[in-house]
Amino acid sequence: MIRSDVHKGAVLGACLAAAATAGCVQVNAPDEPIEINLNVNIRQEVVVRLQDDARELIEQNEEIF
Amino acid sequence: MKKPATIFAAFALGLAVAAGGASAAYAFQDAAAELRATGTVGEQADGYLGTVGSASAEVRAKVDQINIQRRAAYTRLAAERGVTIEEAARATACQLFATRVQPGQYYRLPDGVWRQRNGNEPVPRPAYCG
Repeated sequence: MIRSDVHKGAVLGACLAAAATAGCVQVNAPDEPIEINLNVNIRQEVVVRLQDDARELIEQNEEIF
Repeated sequence: MKKPATIFAAFALGLAVAAGGASAAYAFQDAAAELRATGTVGEQADGYLGTVGSASAEVRAKVDQINIQRRAAYTRLAAERGVTIEEAARATACQLFATRVQPGQYYRLPDGVWRQRNGNEPVPRPAYCG
């Protein structure tokens, strides 16, 4: 990850120089860290409320449960 | 006129075939329970069956088939109650963990680790189960 602007400039300069001879892929990392949100939107009050229905669902479909 | 022994043999054969057929039908009556009992299939907190380690192609096919049916059931329940399929599935998993996982059988919490139910100790459940 390239943080300093001077360094970035140096890399950019190097890229431009290399552009004539070969392709140049410039990768810029975002300024903030990448956040991976693993929170699945499950409402606890809903899950609790569904317990009776879930129990009934299991009893009525024993083959698959 | 056939001998009584022949008639009896035919009757016994018919009964055996019927019994065989009946036992095959019984086997389908709780396919999920049978799979859990193999030791290669467990219940997941997301409401579906999963394979533990390497399972045979036959077992994997049965697991897939059951999961498809479960998803259909969750979809119906979710539509009836106005909730998401995910919520219906996880709510059912809460119940499955409590009632269907027998001692020694496998279950998997959201952390993804397969564990076996320790004797008659209740299976640990995610906090959202209430």
